[in-house]
Amino acid sequence: MTVEPFALIVSLLQQMCVYLVVAYLLSRTPLFIPLTHVTVRWPHKLACYVIFSVFCVMGTYFGLQIDDSIANTRAIGAVLGGILGGPSVGVSVGLTGGLHRYSLGGMSATACAISTVVEGLIGGLVHRHMMKHGKMEPLFDPVRVGLVTFFAEIIQMLIILAVARPFDAALHLVQVVAAPMIIANTLGAGLFMRILLDRRALIEKQSSAFSAKALKIAARADGVLRSGFNEENSQRVARILYEETGVGAVAITDREKLMAFIGIGDDHHLPGTPITSAQTMQAIANNQVLYADGNEVAYQCSIDPHCRLGASLVIPLVGEDDRVIGTIKLYEPKTKIFSTINRTLGEGIARLLSSQILAGRYERQKTLLAQSEIKLLHAQVNPHFLFNALNTISAVIRKDPEKARELVQYLSTFFRKNLKRPSEGACLGDEIEHVNAYLQIELARFTGRLGVDIDVPDELRSVRLPAFSLQPVVENAIKHGTSQLLGEGHVRIAARRHGGDLLLTVEDNAGLYEEKPGGDGLGMAIVDRRIRNRYGDGYGVTVACEPDVSTRITLRLPLETVTA
Amino acid sequence: MMDILIVDDEPLAREELRRLLEGAPDVRIMGECANAIEAIGAINRQKPDVVFLDIQMPRVSGLEMLSMLDPDRMPHIVFLTAHDEYAVQAFEEHAFDYLLKPADPERLEKTLQRLRRARAPQDVRVLAGASELRQIPCAGVNRVTLMKLEEVEYVVSRAAGVYVVGADGQERFTELTLHTLQEKSMLFRCHRQFLVNAERIKEIRFQDGGLAEILTAGGHTVPVSRRFLGALKERLGIG
Repeated sequence: MTVEPFALIVSLLQQMCVYLVVAYLLSRTPLFIPLTHVTVRWPHKLACYVIFSVFCVMGTYFGLQIDDSIANTRAIGAVLGGILGGPSVGVSVGLTGGLHRYSLGGMSATACAISTVVEGLIGGLVHRHMMKHGKMEPLFDPVRVGLVTFFAEIIQMLIILAVARPFDAALHLVQVVAAPMIIANTLGAGLFMRILLDRRALIEKQSSAFSAKALKIAARADGVLRSGFNEENSQRVARILYEETGVGAVAITDREKLMAFIGIGDDHHLPGTPITSAQTMQAIANNQVLYADGNEVAYQCSIDPHCRLGASLVIPLVGEDDRVIGTIKLYEPKTKIFSTINRTLGEGIARLLSSQILAGRYERQKTLLAQSEIKLLHAQVNPHFLFNALNTISAVIRKDPEKARELVQYLSTFFRKNLKRPSEGACLGDEIEHVNAYLQIELARFTGRLGVDIDVPDELRSVRLPAFSLQPVVENAIKHGTSQLLGEGHVRIAARRHGGDLLLTVEDNAGLYEEKPGGDGLGMAIVDRRIRNRYGDGYGVTVACEPDVSTRITLRLPLETVTA
Repeated sequence: MMDILIVDDEPLAREELRRLLEGAPDVRIMGECANAIEAIGAINRQKPDVVFLDIQMPRVSGLEMLSMLDPDRMPHIVFLTAHDEYAVQAFEEHAFDYLLKPADPERLEKTLQRLRRARAPQDVRVLAGASELRQIPCAGVNRVTLMKLEEVEYVVSRAAGVYVVGADGQERFTELTLHTLQEKSMLFRCHRQFLVNAERIKEIRFQDGGLAEILTAGGHTVPVSRRFLGALKERLGIG
């Protein structure tokens, strides 16, 4: 059968179109994702081989019978396989397609088999060449791919002339099919690559849009709920979600009531009102994401039958021990479809917000604990010390009114310093002043039974340290140390620089230190914990006790100076 | 006349109380003590009628001190403390009185009136509770050693005072009398001058004339007089 060359070109192009439609449809499936990148790893190479082999064989079937040969688009699979997968994939695809063609028989069977392998090899060599020069992007260029295929097809024609016998028949065949095949394959390969490129662009666009949105929401919402899961903060987060996702409406609830609502329907979805939606209740009860798209799962606003909202997504917010503490709800109006991106995004955001709420609670508990510990420190100081001090002053008043006035002064300094808020930082100078006021009272109380030394160089007085670090330690040295001696007690307070650290030592001559968990060591344990919390485990309080001789408490702190 | 002893570790507090008490015509202040150890000795020697006692004191508190006094010759105890609301509750019923520092002169006068009216000494067994003596305060230079009873081998009374001896053989001076120790602890009288810790008896060597000698776990010997041998045998369950 002789065919008009032009008619043959058109027919083959038609066949190629069908072939490309199949390629296009397949490109919408995840199957094609490995093909959107230059393949280096074996699993990808394998996927590449399988897919292009299928196309290679398909090219043969979509071909047109001419005499006992086939005008075909087999080359596309082989060349693309080589270009994207390298020589090994190219040759394998070529072999597969070639052997399949060989099995169909005919005058040009051998020649076609050989040439398909060669085409795969050509694609592979181009791949290798480009990889060597580190240029991957040109491999995806449809024009270049077309040119490579164009070249490969010419080689095929030459191989047919060289291998197929009788030569006359081969020559005739080439005359007939050369133009259609070269044109169809060149165009087809280029378009196939175009499809792959589009597919890749789509994936990237989607994922980058998704990441950008997610990052933006995360950045804007960061820390908002940390300061507490309340209506005001919920309203702010809902606003951010509403603006960034572009959904119809956003709501945030706790376990009982609506905390925030922004968007369509905010006229009847009022913050502060109890939850009425069965879905929300179910999401809270079962810790479950519930999606009502309005089609398969009916959605109806539980408040107003005329509400324009037509679909909702309810995502639980999870707190400690997987307990649901509330929900985030995204809505779309009846006129709009819920985008998958917003659904995935919603779940991610709910996780982010859950962990924020948790972190906030944890932080607040920590602060509360620290504050209550400070209060405890104060409480430990106050009653005994106060009444003993008053008793001492009352005795001194008669004997030495001037001295009594002085003691009252010290007592007020002591309490003034005690009333200072613990969150305020202190410097060593402040602490020494606090301790000195305390010691002056104790010295009056234990006249003749207590001696005190304070050795703190002036240049260290501006070093920062947590407030109330020194006083509890000095108080311990007196209360559980020197005041237990029958004879004279002595307390020495010293500060010195040790490398980049400040060493504060409080030493007494009693040597009665005993580790009593939860007992008298409590004040000191708190001091130790606060220093460690603030500066790390390299710092804190250490105790060296030589029984009946001395106890030395050392506070190690970093040398941080107040910039006044 | 009412003989009073003031016990407080703060000189100014003692001074203040002394000044307040001196206003009363029928009060004589026998002395002041700065800690419980001194106080035990002073109470044993001077036998005051009333002791004004601070609670917070070095090593041995005022409360602990009560269990170290001879129960048969107990003075009236008036506690004085700066602040201790729990003790206020606990002792309201048992202590003769309980004053808070700084002491209010009018409140103190009430205490003195009650003391004048009081005839019989208070029953301090209630006050001291069923508390057995668990450690013996031994005074050294400048400090007090609290010796646990189970570590005591024996106690000996000499002309110079009462000494507690542990396994190390060292004699430690205590202000507590043999009588108090015998009453308040499981220490056993084996001789006019000796108490022995029955738990630490290793062997008893009988001698002529109804005498015996105890060898303690720490390797010390303690004499047993004829008068106490029978009771000792009974205590140890030997014939």
